[in-house]
Amino acid sequence: MNNIEQKNQKPIAYYPGCSLNSTAIDYNISVKNLLKILNINFKEIKDWNCCGTTPAHNTSSEMSIALSARNLFLAKNMGCEEIICPCVSCYCKLSEASFILNSNIASRSEFEKKKREEILRLFKNMGFDTESELNFKVYSIIEFLYKNKDLIRQKFSENKMKNNNAIFSKKEKELLTQLKPVCYYGCVLLRAEYSTKFDNAENPVSMEEILETVDIKSKNFRFKTECCGAILSLTYKEIALKLSKEILDAALETGANSIIVFCPLCQQNLDLRQTQINKRFKANYSIPIYYISQILGLALGLSYEDVMINKLFIEPEIKKIKTG
Amino acid sequence: MKIEDSYLEKIKEEILTIIEPDIYYCYQCGKCTAGCPISYVYEYKPNEIIRLIQLNKINAIFNSNSIYLCTSCEICSSRCPQNVNIAAIMNYLRIKSWHYKRFKLKRIYNFYKIFLKIIEKFGRSFEPLLIICLNFLNKTFFNDFDAALKILKKRKIKIIPELLKNRKEVSFIVKKYS
Repeated sequence: MNNIEQKNQKPIAYYPGCSLNSTAIDYNISVKNLLKILNINFKEIKDWNCCGTTPAHNTSSEMSIALSARNLFLAKNMGCEEIICPCVSCYCKLSEASFILNSNIASRSEFEKKKREEILRLFKNMGFDTESELNFKVYSIIEFLYKNKDLIRQKFSENKMKNNNAIFSKKEKELLTQLKPVCYYGCVLLRAEYSTKFDNAENPVSMEEILETVDIKSKNFRFKTECCGAILSLTYKEIALKLSKEILDAALETGANSIIVFCPLCQQNLDLRQTQINKRFKANYSIPIYYISQILGLALGLSYEDVMINKLFIEPEIKKIKTG
Repeated sequence: MKIEDSYLEKIKEEILTIIEPDIYYCYQCGKCTAGCPISYVYEYKPNEIIRLIQLNKINAIFNSNSIYLCTSCEICSSRCPQNVNIAAIMNYLRIKSWHYKRFKLKRIYNFYKIFLKIIEKFGRSFEPLLIICLNFLNKTFFNDFDAALKILKKRKIKIIPELLKNRKEVSFIVKKYS
């Protein structure tokens, strides 16, 4: 797919979700800026609501589906049936709702068909158009970037040729050359019941391949899809700190100096809580946890400010490289 | 509230008909438990939960901490050689325990209650209020004080909640199903 094609395409809807609207604002801005330089035509869903995340799906499956269904119908009102969703939790909820709602119901169980009818009735009463054919497709940011690998590669070499690397001011270039990352996928993206399983759930490689298109080599890592403790960090913090510590240990073991993630909750547990981990385990970790959009953005010519590196709690220490 | 035996039977029947008909295929290999990141604190391990359901001892599951601490990472389901969807069963049992007011871990119960109340009112999550209410109800007043300060210092949070235009719709959905 090339740039021109992308531009003329139907816009794709963008669903940020609550995390990206507050504590992961750096993720939100860097994803938006990344999509812009890739010439992806996207529109944020107007008046989107919270997907309900863990509290909704642990108390009522219908509530969880209905909350996400509202976002899907709002996207449809804007003329979009394809949705990009950077937050992993939101992605799982949206993809479940899209599975239930989509018109092609051949593979659905009786129970799922009943759920579908109930949700459609609910939204019909709220005044949404439920009669026309529904054909939603929800992308996680990783699947979307993976699908557009060629576009990223092309953009990268264009930039390189055009500017002969002059696009990088020093800071950005130094960060990228000193980067020795591991890719951490988090537990649920490739396992969730309704997600597109576009990569192996035990040893995924899509993130590594995406980064290779911009000449970033990442180290192999045995904790790629372990759980970070997720939202237990708010209620049973001990557990989340222990699990996150194990991830940091496994990353250091490989000789890496940073971790690249795409889940706002994983990022929070590893980055914001790294000082709590240090305190609890009398350790001395100082590992920057980047979002993949920040690193790709920098490699494609965005600045530190465009991808909000300064919002990270563990900011990278850039050693000066000798010039010349 | 004690759940009547007839309800427990109904719960088991629903598990067998709509959630996971293959529950008797479990041969106790323990891969789910080996993979589960939280199983080290579980009172019943994931494979034991499947066994308890087979033996009609669902009450014991409601009384243990396991289903409430589960983070739904779905490692158990994805590694099961017999394709038993353990994560879906755990999720279903959580939903039931919520509805029968048997949710055992108060801290997690409070978190869900407050979170759902906030999206009912605003349509979106609003972390400052969530953390304040949660710490108050759980009586962990200075929990995450350090983290909150850091977030404020980096200006990563909105002090005023954003209100949706049609938050009535969201509020209707939350009320209808809670």
